[in-house]
Amino acid sequence: MTLQLSHLQAMLLFALAISVAFGFLSRRPAMERVKYIVWSLFLFLLIGIGIGWAMYPLSR
Amino acid sequence: MTDDTQVTAAPRGDSKLETRALLFGVAGWILPGLGHALQKMWGRALACFLTVAVLVVIGAGMRGNLFTADGGDAFASLGYLADLGAGSFYLVAKSLETRGPDVSHADGDYGTRFLAVAGVLNLLAALHAYEAARGRKA
Repeated sequence: MTLQLSHLQAMLLFALAISVAFGFLSRRPAMERVKYIVWSLFLFLLIGIGIGWAMYPLSR
Repeated sequence: MTDDTQVTAAPRGDSKLETRALLFGVAGWILPGLGHALQKMWGRALACFLTVAVLVVIGAGMRGNLFTADGGDAFASLGYLADLGAGSFYLVAKSLETRGPDVSHADGDYGTRFLAVAGVLNLLAALHAYEAARGRKA
């Protein structure tokens, strides 16, 4: 079995899996969990893409 | 001698609770989510199982490096410990990687991280199951 994922797809899947796990482990009421998962996912993506752009000048 | 310095024997129930909590923790390590399932925390059990499973399947699919005991250096040993954290899913990853790891491309390198994170996440979940059984986590 071989998976071909782009960098963005890999990051999205990673961020989603970790956010869901953290949300379920750290929060109890369903609404709190959803809020935590969405917020955590947003921060993962924001910081990931932010670091990507910050490193862009170094790659040229 | 003041009351502060007196040592009192722990009640017998405490050691039973501790053993039970330890069993839940070990069960959670062996099979992701089992530690929570035994405590009837179904949502957490399912979330732990699915996230570890997804990370392992993707990591193995991307042909990440699954470390073995004879790694050679400190980083390989740490990687082995992280991979072992996935419990039985370590063997699943091994059986999925029929063509072996390939870290000559970015995909394989990412796969290595997915596998390591699956293990560390499962250790965190097992620790949570242990603490929940001791009544220290909601």
